[in-house]
Amino acid sequence: MRRWLLCALLIAGTPAMSKSIFPYTSYKEVLPNGLTVYLIPMESPGLVAYYSIVRTGSRDEYEPGKSGFAHFFEHMMFRGTRRHPGPVYDSLITGIGAEANAYTTDDYTAYHLKFATEDLETVMDLESDRFQNLSYEEREFQTEAGAVYGEYRKSITSPFALLNEKLQDVAYDVHTYKHTTIGFEADIKAMPGAYAYSKSFYERYYRPENVVIIIAGDFHMQGTLTLVRTYYSGWSKGYVPPRIPREPPQKNERTASVTYAGRTLPILDIAYKGEAFDPANRTYVAAILLGDLAFGETSELYKKLYIREQKVEFIQPSIPMNRDMPLFEIIAMVKREEDVPGIREEVYKAIATFQKNPIDAQKLADMKRRRKYEFLMHLDTPDKVAGGLARFVALTGGIDVVDRFYTTLARITPDDIQKAARQYFTPNRRTVVVLKGGGQ
Amino acid sequence: MRSAAGVVALLLLFSVFQAGGQPVDPSTFVLLPVKNDPTISFRIWFKTGSHNDPAGKEGLAYITGQMLADASTRTHPYAQIIDKLYPLAAGYSASVSAEMTILSGRVHKDNLEAFYPLFRDAILLPAFTQEDLDRIKSQTLNYLENILRYSSDEELGKAVLYNDVFAGSGYGHVEAGTVAGVRSITLHDVRAFYVTHFTRDNVVPGIGGGYDEQLVTRLAADLGKLPSGLPIKVPLSVPVRINGFCVTIVDKDAPATAISMGFPIRVLRGERQWYALAIANSWLGEHRNSSSHLYQVIREARGLNYGDYSYIEHFPGGGMRNMPPQNVPRRVQLFEIWIRPVPLENGFFALRAALREFKMLVDQGLTEEQFQQTQTFLKKYVLHYAPTTMDRLGYALDDRFYGIEGSHLERFRKMMDEISRDEVNAAIKEHWHYGSMRIAIVTKNGAAFRDALLAGTPSPISYATPKPQSVLDADKEIAVFPVRVKEENIRVIPVTSVLER
Repeated sequence: MRRWLLCALLIAGTPAMSKSIFPYTSYKEVLPNGLTVYLIPMESPGLVAYYSIVRTGSRDEYEPGKSGFAHFFEHMMFRGTRRHPGPVYDSLITGIGAEANAYTTDDYTAYHLKFATEDLETVMDLESDRFQNLSYEEREFQTEAGAVYGEYRKSITSPFALLNEKLQDVAYDVHTYKHTTIGFEADIKAMPGAYAYSKSFYERYYRPENVVIIIAGDFHMQGTLTLVRTYYSGWSKGYVPPRIPREPPQKNERTASVTYAGRTLPILDIAYKGEAFDPANRTYVAAILLGDLAFGETSELYKKLYIREQKVEFIQPSIPMNRDMPLFEIIAMVKREEDVPGIREEVYKAIATFQKNPIDAQKLADMKRRRKYEFLMHLDTPDKVAGGLARFVALTGGIDVVDRFYTTLARITPDDIQKAARQYFTPNRRTVVVLKGGGQ
Repeated sequence: MRSAAGVVALLLLFSVFQAGGQPVDPSTFVLLPVKNDPTISFRIWFKTGSHNDPAGKEGLAYITGQMLADASTRTHPYAQIIDKLYPLAAGYSASVSAEMTILSGRVHKDNLEAFYPLFRDAILLPAFTQEDLDRIKSQTLNYLENILRYSSDEELGKAVLYNDVFAGSGYGHVEAGTVAGVRSITLHDVRAFYVTHFTRDNVVPGIGGGYDEQLVTRLAADLGKLPSGLPIKVPLSVPVRINGFCVTIVDKDAPATAISMGFPIRVLRGERQWYALAIANSWLGEHRNSSSHLYQVIREARGLNYGDYSYIEHFPGGGMRNMPPQNVPRRVQLFEIWIRPVPLENGFFALRAALREFKMLVDQGLTEEQFQQTQTFLKKYVLHYAPTTMDRLGYALDDRFYGIEGSHLERFRKMMDEISRDEVNAAIKEHWHYGSMRIAIVTKNGAAFRDALLAGTPSPISYATPKPQSVLDADKEIAVFPVRVKEENIRVIPVTSVLER
């Protein structure tokens, strides 16, 4: 969830712009109530992908005891409306053979469907209805809380779930990134009692100004625009922004350890406070490339630790794109516990090298080339196009930002990389968590 | 000491290129041209898999696959290969299932010339170094000993079920093998396996996307440089017919109870009855879909877990995919019910609830309404099974495996217009049977679960919140639903022994 695979997506403005490497034209419509809709026709015989992106995720859970609520609410969105109660919604979706699902991240919640073109109006009717008129009883709400707890139970056996929970808790003092998207177990347990709160959550966040719809695939443009206006224009404004506390600057390095009940190899997570997504900020964009250059599979450190010395089962960077200040991480699964301090030093040494020396221009060029082809190869289905744009939409409210982001990326120089290494990867921004297995 | 067969194998390996070889007949290729696709997809199928692992060397096919795709070649060390692939945003990998080893790769047309020699050499010129073997064995052991045993109880439950259902046959271990098997694998084993199984007579090359005819000729010539010959076909022993419920309980410090159950079935895709059974199965438990009846009963009405599904084909990695996988075909398939982790106190209740629903379906069949709704659903839902060229190429290879003329997915849609409810209910009667089933349970305090099963102890459920009367009425029946297990058919094993040998 926190990890975002950068799929490069460039997109034209309204309606079409040239000079974009994005191979599809997009059309943007903003309704008077603030709802933004992107239509992206593409070759996909008879199939459409439909994404409703709510710019609310676990980041917005600022009230005490409400961690995990954005995700829980995602579940409630399948419980129906007066016109289409849950079983009717299910039966209509089943009747059209749609694939319908949703997911929640730190910064947004996405509801997505794939279906046949002829069913577009049925889908729009259902989707617009549940976003405007969701209705459920307390009993259903409480039953769904059980399913959410079940989701927590199936996931928590992973050591990475425990590691992330600890890391975020230690690294942040007040910001809502202090908790994971699934939330703390105590808060999940308490969810059945939050029926009234859930209504307020819907009232405040599920509003047109806070939602962007992307429709990609094989459909008739004008007809679809008419449908959008028909089905969504009656939705009232009313978004209330969350009061997310600002995280104070970190002053010193933080460390923590956590014990996993089962068996696992030790996991070392070295995290640095980064910076919010900003496509114009060269240093931020350079950090994304730096992660791969310093710790990705072509890095010297990867070759040393993973291939030659075989001290780690894996080592990888994670430089995410977030609305607020995320953690820039280097994560390694270490084969022998006694090697953990040494690996940690190796990571610091690698960072120092990038701080001291500009990187090889060819390596940087290789990386830019890779980004370009990753982008081109990723766009082969409507679902991937719409899904790939979701985070950009969540971060900025639109998709034109993608163009700016990749323009900056193309201009990154070895100096920018060096600057990123010096600016973000410093001890006072650092939190280190070591997870060890407890055995059984 | 190295065996004589091994020496022969080595000699064969190093004489490959001197031999020159006969091109693989291009008419045997599976081709899927897509004119406007800017990428090219490869799936090179070698007719070997974990089912061919020698006894005591479980995991050999899997390790050999990784030694081709994730290791050095005689032209480039592994680190160099990574460097060369990186700017292309292309890569290749090996997937090993019971019957298939697939070397797959995808590349943008612009980068084909840089990519192709690397991919070719991975298949033709593996270096088989000790360094690579150590790394790959370490990863595989970490997967078996730590990840599979501890990090996901539902995946562990499925693995135990698969191993139990096919115990004693070539399907009786997960693809990655066993801990003892993987530990024992040497470079010599890998070389011998490679030379025997990766031959030009044992390959079905697949290409899809925006390729040109020259690529087919080139690949045919290159694969022709592999040694000739066919490995000895390993007969698949019929899984032992079980009588009654056979239960394996994996005892561990689990936060919840994960349950998988099933039995082998003889119907395969392509056969008309398979499509009939697919309708029944979709109604009972369409994967990751709220239309699943089991999902409605266990999750939606009772909130016991995250989902409940059923399958009529092997479906590995269910927690990580929404649509069926490709290239995991089998000569004998498996019916499976998957109950995702439920609270420890509701484990027996959830088991009873699932078995009761299954029994009702077997006894009564589908109603006309259920049948029609599911048929309509599947006809369109199948459209989402293979959205990309790579997916469709995977299906096309599976079609070849099952001997399906045309396309399984097209046939699937066509069958939805042809099959009657009577056929569906007849297929249920013929292929599904209640009462003889393997059950794998991963839970805490396994001995108590065993005792409750043996004693038929009622498993009433209580809820913190109100439930409709219909749910409460059904709960009373579920709580005492008979699940009779003989003492000799139930075992409790510690998690540390699972997947060991």
